[in-house]
Amino acid sequence: MDNESLVLRCRLGDRAALTELVRAWHEPVLTYVRRMLGPGRADDVTQEVWVAVVRGLPRLKDPARFAPWLFTIARRAVATRLRAEYGEAALDAGAEPPAVPDGTEAVLDRAELFDGLAALPPREREILVLFYLEDLSLEDCAEICGIPLGTAKSRLHRARGLLRGQLEEKP
Amino acid sequence: MKDDEIIALVRAESSPWRRLRGTVALLGGLVGGTFLITLWATEPGPLPDRTRLVFALLALICAGWTAFGAWSVLGPRPLFALDGLVAGWLALAASLATTAVTVTVAADRGTGLAVAIAAGALFIGASAAITVRAHLRFRKIVRELARHRD
Repeated sequence: MDNESLVLRCRLGDRAALTELVRAWHEPVLTYVRRMLGPGRADDVTQEVWVAVVRGLPRLKDPARFAPWLFTIARRAVATRLRAEYGEAALDAGAEPPAVPDGTEAVLDRAELFDGLAALPPREREILVLFYLEDLSLEDCAEICGIPLGTAKSRLHRARGLLRGQLEEKP
Repeated sequence: MKDDEIIALVRAESSPWRRLRGTVALLGGLVGGTFLITLWATEPGPLPDRTRLVFALLALICAGWTAFGAWSVLGPRPLFALDGLVAGWLALAASLATTAVTVTVAADRGTGLAVAIAAGALFIGASAAITVRAHLRFRKIVRELARHRD
């Protein structure tokens, strides 16, 4: 069953569909939260995300936009946790730093991403996780992060550059 | 964290029984309170102080159940389309039953008939509106689902 039908069945009150929805999306949510916060805090935040998802599901207007909606909720939960730990500038505030030169698009594979991600700042880590690990479109990434498409593009560009720097520093 | 743990959490959060308990408490409080006040208001003669005190205490208990029910129903827990439909029909059935009883009591005692009818009409109107809205919402999602499957 496709995602949109699943969401519609959930909104009707079909509990079996809700179970299917969790099975389909738990792993992507957990991956995102784990990459953003580390494994130690991922479980708590993932639970918070799912409670918010279930509570908000009856009010979701467009079932086709479920994935960006879900990751927006996850992002909010992650941002709240980061703010509590590192202050306001963790994920949202602050101007975009300038982009760095990037010529490595083709050579990034998933294993390298996993290794280098943890050392990146949260905003750059986030866009890489959403784009590469969750396979979301750049439009969806921009919507989830609450930024214009152009900003998302430059942030992704800069994040790749930073990641390349991280990987090159490794022996 | 495994899928099953999240599924258990999601099931507990979306359990229809919690909503149903809230709906029953809300309707019980409203129906009981209305019935009690009708009885009190239609008493033919002045009541002794002790009886009035008991009426007031019982009305207070009904108000408490109403408040608890409203908090449970209107709280942050999800209300899916089918749950809304069940809650709407429960409210309509309770409103009709309460109106029938209060109007009968008022007519039998010969006082407060207009108030009983007005209160009944208000309850029936509100619960009918909730039920119609729930039906429309349910049908809209069913139509969307059918369109999507075609």
